[in-house]
Amino acid sequence: MAVGVRHFVRLKLRITANGLRGQTWRVAVFVLGAVLAACAAVGGYVLFSLPGMLGGQRAAEVALPLAGGLIVLGWLFLPLVFFGVDESLDPARFALLPLPRRTLIRGLFVASLAGVPAVATFAGTLGMVDTAGRLGGPAAALVQFVGVLTGILLCAAISRSLTSAFATALRSRRSRDLAAVLLACVAALLGPLQLAALAGAENADWTGIARVADVVAWTPFGAPYSMGLDVAAGRSWAVPVKLALVLATIGLLLWWWSTTLERAMLGSVGRSGPRQQAASARRPVAQLVPGWLPRTRFGALTARELRYWWRETRRRASLITFSMVGLFLPVFIGVSSDSAGAPTGMLIFVGALAAVSLANQFGFEGSAYAANVVAGVPGRLELTSRVAGFSVYVVPVLLGIAIVVGAAVGHPETVPAMVGMLAAAYGVGLALVLPISVRVAYALPDTANPFALSSGGGMAKGLLTFAALFGAALLTAPLQLLAFLAHDVWLWAGLPLGLLYGAGALLLGLRLAGPMLDRRMPELLATVTARQ
Amino acid sequence: MTVPQQRSSPDQALALRGLVKRFDEKLAVAGIDLDVPAGSFFGLLGPNGAGKTTTLSMAVGLLRPDAGQARILGYDVWADPSAAKARIGVLPDGVRLFDRLTGTELLAYHGLLRGMDADVVDRRSAELLDVLALGADNRTLVVDYSAGMKKKIGLACAMLHAPRLLVLDEPFEAVDPVSAALIRDILQRYVAGGGTVVFSSHVMAVVERLCSHVAILTDGTIRLCGTLAQVRGERSLEDVFVEVVGGRTATGSELAWL
Repeated sequence: MAVGVRHFVRLKLRITANGLRGQTWRVAVFVLGAVLAACAAVGGYVLFSLPGMLGGQRAAEVALPLAGGLIVLGWLFLPLVFFGVDESLDPARFALLPLPRRTLIRGLFVASLAGVPAVATFAGTLGMVDTAGRLGGPAAALVQFVGVLTGILLCAAISRSLTSAFATALRSRRSRDLAAVLLACVAALLGPLQLAALAGAENADWTGIARVADVVAWTPFGAPYSMGLDVAAGRSWAVPVKLALVLATIGLLLWWWSTTLERAMLGSVGRSGPRQQAASARRPVAQLVPGWLPRTRFGALTARELRYWWRETRRRASLITFSMVGLFLPVFIGVSSDSAGAPTGMLIFVGALAAVSLANQFGFEGSAYAANVVAGVPGRLELTSRVAGFSVYVVPVLLGIAIVVGAAVGHPETVPAMVGMLAAAYGVGLALVLPISVRVAYALPDTANPFALSSGGGMAKGLLTFAALFGAALLTAPLQLLAFLAHDVWLWAGLPLGLLYGAGALLLGLRLAGPMLDRRMPELLATVTARQ
Repeated sequence: MTVPQQRSSPDQALALRGLVKRFDEKLAVAGIDLDVPAGSFFGLLGPNGAGKTTTLSMAVGLLRPDAGQARILGYDVWADPSAAKARIGVLPDGVRLFDRLTGTELLAYHGLLRGMDADVVDRRSAELLDVLALGADNRTLVVDYSAGMKKKIGLACAMLHAPRLLVLDEPFEAVDPVSAALIRDILQRYVAGGGTVVFSSHVMAVVERLCSHVAILTDGTIRLCGTLAQVRGERSLEDVFVEVVGGRTATGSELAWL
């Protein structure tokens, strides 16, 4: 019997179900995620069917391509920044099976659609079919349905091919710098988009937005979502053109994916070779611990973290992604909004996002944590050293962000206050994230793709990220209020206040999470050990 | 500082009492009592899935038992973990090392983690790397090591702080004969110097050659335990093992298509 697509789908569903078996909290997270996704799907459906119910052909022609484009962009960015990709079907595991590449790609691709995000996106965008049907009758509805179908295929293809390409690039020691630059460019793409959206929203320039929408409708981003409307408007000739455009894009993306996949499948065996360096004449401790760290337990733990944030692909990927997102988001928000002064909300977001990188810090190294358990490292020390090691990279980045944003906004005098706000958000974020990293750690799959998560992991990661971001926004409210109400005072008091606030929160978090870790060391080790 | 009442049986290097571990519905370890005399070379034998790794993990504080006690040189692993953990070196099996460090860095890490003086760490690391033929100036990351080199660097990490008890899970698995001979030699010297070794294995030849004491574990219970001579009697250890474990012997009629 030939291996078909359904075998891959069945395998994926079976792996997902087995992953949940006997893991109460994972089931809870899965259900919570599914409920949230269902809410989003229903909300999306209602939203997308509104233009049809109101009978606004022009409104639909503007809203649907733009919204559809945003959805595709979301599928492009969110896996890179927040969720990772569900790689319960690790391509490397199929390397030894006698499968034609076409079968493999088709199978993995369709299996990637058998997940909560894809189903929710599809269900939500079905509202567009409703709109097309009301505006143009059954023919328009049918065409729009085809469009929505190709749309979800496009979403999946774009997220798969992009994460896989970055995974390949980041793994190789030769191309990883190039990959970092590319990632920066992708993140930078967010900028013009926000500019357009914000400028449009502020000026309420209806014709301008409509013109943008008309252009977007002819790009692969908006084309799938505007086909039915073309039928409704009597432009049926546009349908085959757009369909061809979308299908060609999907085909190209899948081809790209299959080439990077091939390298990934070989990658687990034929790496770029062990790193050869000049023999070091330094003594062992000096090789591990840099001169500015004490030659103690704390020094060793921190030095190991320093090495790991750079040498491990997963951690490096999250570090690079954070730096890029952290730099570009506030700059563009700052430049595009007219209000004088710093974009406080964005600073909070960026500071907390930095801390979120530690949300599954024990999952990064997996069972290697056993060494620290056997040595009986106290919880406080363990967590302090991890924060210290990570901060060596992140604090300069945060400082850079504040300086660049200050310069970009044209208010360099706000830089110290921005540093204060970033420090407060980072400290509060760490305080929230440290207990999370101890209580709800999860195992990461042992694959070469740094964006890969085992099934359900993406849900957990996304939920925890948003919980931490929301919590940080809430807990820094006093500072935000002060910055808003007493802007002049904040300009000079922001730095010391923010630093104190962040440091206080961090100490509290360590005090809370340290004993928690002391009590749970073996349990934590068990949860981060990948099950074979 | 010693707490006298905790040191109940100082001449036992490792004492397990009624250890139980259950995973979901499966009873992995069903109440194990085991005494490892100080100064012995103790082999824990068992087929795959017998519960060897689970037992040793509970004995050294990596896995919390559902019931029972584990004492290392008289210190309770779960009531007084820091005192117990300071006295053992562990080589876990199926557990990754911090493999994005070089071998030298990894040794330095373990030494400092054990609270050792940096100069002592430097001296002993260089010596261990030299004796184990890992190369003191080798800058290869441990992740790029071969399986045998990984075992050797893991062993070096376990021995660096000169513990009185070594707990090794499958130290000879995936090790080539040359490295195995080297490891055997080092461990024998360690025991001759007054140390105690507990290791798990299912390679009878190695066990017969090294061990003074043996225990056979299957289905989470100890079936036989004692000195090598007591357990083996007049027969070979392999015969005793197969009989105790109850393995099936091929009749020759199955797998005819091979």
